[in-house]
Amino acid sequence: MSGVRHGDGSRRGAAHQLLLLGGLVLLWLLLWGSFTPIDVLAGITVALLATRVFELPPVQLTGRLHVGHLLLYLIRFAGEVVAGSVQVAALALDPRRTPRAAIVEVRLTTKSDLILTLVAVTLSLVPGSLVLEVDRQRSTLFLHALGVQDGEDVRRIRHHALDTEYRLLRAIGSRAELRKASR
Amino acid sequence: MLVVLGAFGIASVLVPALTPRLGTRVFLLAAVPAVAAVVHAALAAPAVFARGVSERVPWVPALGLTLDTRLDPLSWVLALLVGGVGALVLVYCRSYFRNDEPHLGAFAGSLTAFAGSMYGLVVADDVYLLFVFWELTTVFSYLLIGHYSSRRASRGSALQALLVTTFGGLTMLAGFVLLTTAAGTSRLSELATRAPEGAVGTVGAVLIVVGILSKSAVVPLHFWLPGAMAAPTPVSAYLHAAAMVKAGIYLAARFSPAFAETPGWRESLVLLGLVTMLVGGWRALRETDLKLVLAYGTVAQLGFLTAAIGFGTRDALLGGLALLVAHALFKSTLFLVVGIVDHDTGTRDLRKLSGLGRAAPALAVVAALAAASMAGLPPFAGFVGKETVLAAMVHAGESGDVLGWIALAGSTAGSALTAAYAARVYWGAFARKPGVPDVGVIRESPAFLLAPAVLAVLGLAGGIAAPGLDAVLAPVADVLPAEGEVEHLALWHGIGIPLLLSAVTIGLGLGAFLLREPIARVQARLALRRSASDAYRGTLSGIDRVAARTTKVVQRGSLPYYLAVILVVFVVAVVSALVRLAPPLPEARLWDQPMQPVAAVVMSVAAIAATVAAKRFQAVVLVGVTGFGMALLFADFGAPDLALTQALVELVTLVAFVLVLRRLPARLGTKHGSSFRLGRAALGIAVGAIMSVVALVALAARTATPIAVEFPRLAVDGGHGVNVVNVTLVDIRGWDTMGELSVIIAAATGVASLVFLSSRSDRMPEFARRSGLSLLRGRSGRPSADHDDRGSWLLAGRTLAPRNRSILLEVVVRLVFPALIVLSLYLLLAGHNAPGGGFAGGLVAGLALVARYLAAGRIELAAAAPVSAGALLGSGLLFATGAAVVPLFLGVDALTSTYLDLDLGWFGSVSLVTSTIFDVGVYLVVIGLVLDVLRSLGAEVDRQEEEGDEPSLAGRLEAEEQRRWTAGAGARR
Repeated sequence: MSGVRHGDGSRRGAAHQLLLLGGLVLLWLLLWGSFTPIDVLAGITVALLATRVFELPPVQLTGRLHVGHLLLYLIRFAGEVVAGSVQVAALALDPRRTPRAAIVEVRLTTKSDLILTLVAVTLSLVPGSLVLEVDRQRSTLFLHALGVQDGEDVRRIRHHALDTEYRLLRAIGSRAELRKASR
Repeated sequence: MLVVLGAFGIASVLVPALTPRLGTRVFLLAAVPAVAAVVHAALAAPAVFARGVSERVPWVPALGLTLDTRLDPLSWVLALLVGGVGALVLVYCRSYFRNDEPHLGAFAGSLTAFAGSMYGLVVADDVYLLFVFWELTTVFSYLLIGHYSSRRASRGSALQALLVTTFGGLTMLAGFVLLTTAAGTSRLSELATRAPEGAVGTVGAVLIVVGILSKSAVVPLHFWLPGAMAAPTPVSAYLHAAAMVKAGIYLAARFSPAFAETPGWRESLVLLGLVTMLVGGWRALRETDLKLVLAYGTVAQLGFLTAAIGFGTRDALLGGLALLVAHALFKSTLFLVVGIVDHDTGTRDLRKLSGLGRAAPALAVVAALAAASMAGLPPFAGFVGKETVLAAMVHAGESGDVLGWIALAGSTAGSALTAAYAARVYWGAFARKPGVPDVGVIRESPAFLLAPAVLAVLGLAGGIAAPGLDAVLAPVADVLPAEGEVEHLALWHGIGIPLLLSAVTIGLGLGAFLLREPIARVQARLALRRSASDAYRGTLSGIDRVAARTTKVVQRGSLPYYLAVILVVFVVAVVSALVRLAPPLPEARLWDQPMQPVAAVVMSVAAIAATVAAKRFQAVVLVGVTGFGMALLFADFGAPDLALTQALVELVTLVAFVLVLRRLPARLGTKHGSSFRLGRAALGIAVGAIMSVVALVALAARTATPIAVEFPRLAVDGGHGVNVVNVTLVDIRGWDTMGELSVIIAAATGVASLVFLSSRSDRMPEFARRSGLSLLRGRSGRPSADHDDRGSWLLAGRTLAPRNRSILLEVVVRLVFPALIVLSLYLLLAGHNAPGGGFAGGLVAGLALVARYLAAGRIELAAAAPVSAGALLGSGLLFATGAAVVPLFLGVDALTSTYLDLDLGWFGSVSLVTSTIFDVGVYLVVIGLVLDVLRSLGAEVDRQEEEGDEPSLAGRLEAEEQRRWTAGAGARR
């Protein structure tokens, strides 16, 4: 039963690996700041060396990429970082009260480690929230959030996390998960 | 001579190797170089007596050390003795030992090497070379005395001999250093004729006397010799009669021309020699073990020799030399005879031996010849020597030298004792004693008897052919000025005081022998409560106690204490220097750029906060902040390289700290830093303030143009790189880097050996990699033990307990790791012209490994790096050394770099600099260091911690691997 699918999977896996290799070559070229053919050759050599000597399991990408949504996601992320910085600074400088914090459990819909991780990283990088713990089996994040006053805030944070996941799925999530999340 | 020495060296290596095949016959092979020494001396005789034979080979030219050897008449005589007696003793060994003797090979090798060292000692013409051989004889005698290493007494005696003679040797070395510095030469033949005068000469002479006393077993350093009788008898015969103990006498004879006039030299040697003669003779009458009787007899004779040769007149020296030859012959004969007695009858106790003379007549004759020579009976060599010495003392006394009369009285009494114990030895070994059963039938072996018989006959020949002996020894003695008529060695000098005294001594000696029983009773009553060896033991235990106490006070194991000592010394030393010099302070600007005060404030706050931090991690992070502040300052100064390296180092340090601290309680306890808080604060502030002042003073102290001004130009012209820092490291100051690499390797190895208790699990990587990959591939094949069906991101993620896993880390590390490796390679290759370099690149690669370890544990770490840390360190050093050494073969200086520029048009251009190879070495060493720290402080500590727990998957894998490996090893076997 698995013959065809296996072959299919490995072909897709090889494509993923090539993509990753291409990323490494691009990194090499950017580091050197020079794009002559010999640099490309050197980059390919180095990338192969880095991945062959230090062999690792193949990365499981989702198999879909929407550049426009990815750009939107990144722009939104940048905005959130700025906004979060201002909020945290305000909380820190407010002399009237000590800020309250909460730990919020958020159950995501994705089953992909990659999406799960990227959501967690995104939320952690935005000032004011931090991922404390991830339950991989149940795709659940435990978020530490600053400036939480009441249940409304908790709902808002949970919604924001799910929204982040949805936007990321639109950018790079697999079709099936995107469909599931849209429901 | 050097060829002979080389032959000794080769033989002493060959002999142990051949012993399993040849058994005791190997001693015949061992005797070859000794025979060669004799033959060489015989052939060289005409030249030696004409002008001396010298050979000179440079040894350490930078220190002016040369392998100077020289055969003059004195060396010649001793070389003959050392070689001849050595060869005979080695031949004797063949019969003395049996094939199944334990450690026979090592013994034969040591004995050969000892003979070689002794030969080297007498032919050396450089005092430092002489010292080296001197200490070599000490070391080999230690091995030989301790031959019966299973016996406690044997080991103790060997150590005692080693300590005493080494003490003397080192003292003597100090004397040599003094003399050579003052005289400007280390050639023995020059020093021995014109030693420096004044205080330096006197002190040097006294120090050399200590060496002589220790080696030749003269009071008060005599006690090791009887103890050394724990050695096998051939060793006693050779080392303690003919060879090693003569080294001191040789030195006394060698330096007598130089020091005869030096105050203290003559008096100390003569008086101590006489005391030794009396003490040794007295003890020899008391002992009942034949070997100990001979040992004390040797002590006595060595005392006599020291007195005679130290006496400082030409005639005494002549007599002393004759006595030296005679003693070597008769005493080694007697030792060898005792060895045969012991071998044949199983005892050396003279109270148990009876009737041996009848059972072994040939042996008895040989012993009689030797004993007669020892007693000083005519016509033996012993008589000739003693006669001449006594005559010289009489002569000196008559010309108004008080020491002459003292020496005469002492020598006469001592000679009487000698005659008495000579009779006692012979009687003890061979006479029939009432009430003691006779020894059984003994079959005498001619081969066994050969060596002592030859030596005994030579002793007789030396006496009869005294004029011949005179022809050989007179040139030696002529180094001292003679007054009036010179004495000659002869059997008959006419009737005079010496002959009279000889008769008296023999008569007294026989009388003492006949009255042995009353004397024994007197001796029993007079037995000393404390002996010199008690003093030795007392000294040793005293040193032990002082050492223990010092260690207890100084090494108390308190880190604050150590730090305080270091810092207080720093403060005191620097402040006193500052106060004394009162150096000018430069004009100082507070800052150049606004970033500097900001960084300074941040660093200061962090530093102060670190001192009051309540938790360890807090303190470590705060210290880290100061480091990053430093990086900021570097970057601000336009030193991106330093900033990069500083930041990376700070990260790696943080990781290392965390790895160590996780085993300690999180909170800093009340025990830490609770006492003397004010004192500590004051010390800390003082150190900080002084460092600031030092920095300012150092800035103002520079007057010359700094060498660094040239570096940018040198980097481009010589190193072909624009990153001055990197080119400095790998090219301009490449040797410094080389030294630092060695330090890093030593430190890494040290850390690893502290943590790895049993062995460095060097086969860990291979197996972890295999099992990691098989876990991965086995995913589709067999149902996983875990409940996880999402696949793996890293090799060994699932070897961790689920509660310890972080999928977040695993995914991030999986994505970032290859990029970090690419970055590290970029830093390595770009470093020559841009910020980076092997050090920074290695740190980045190391951090990538740190990430793997943190994400998925020790098995992941093992699987991540496909090689062992040791291999990385080693190959790194190999690269660096290669870059240093290869240019040498091309005819240029070490570490010379060259470069290759290739312009391929549109295709791009390649620029290769050979110093990059050096940088690759640095890169590998740094990765190896990080890996070593991770594997020892991280992985190994994890493993040791897990040992108590339930076995995790990692533990199970390891156990399985262990089982498979053992099975494989078994199959291979």
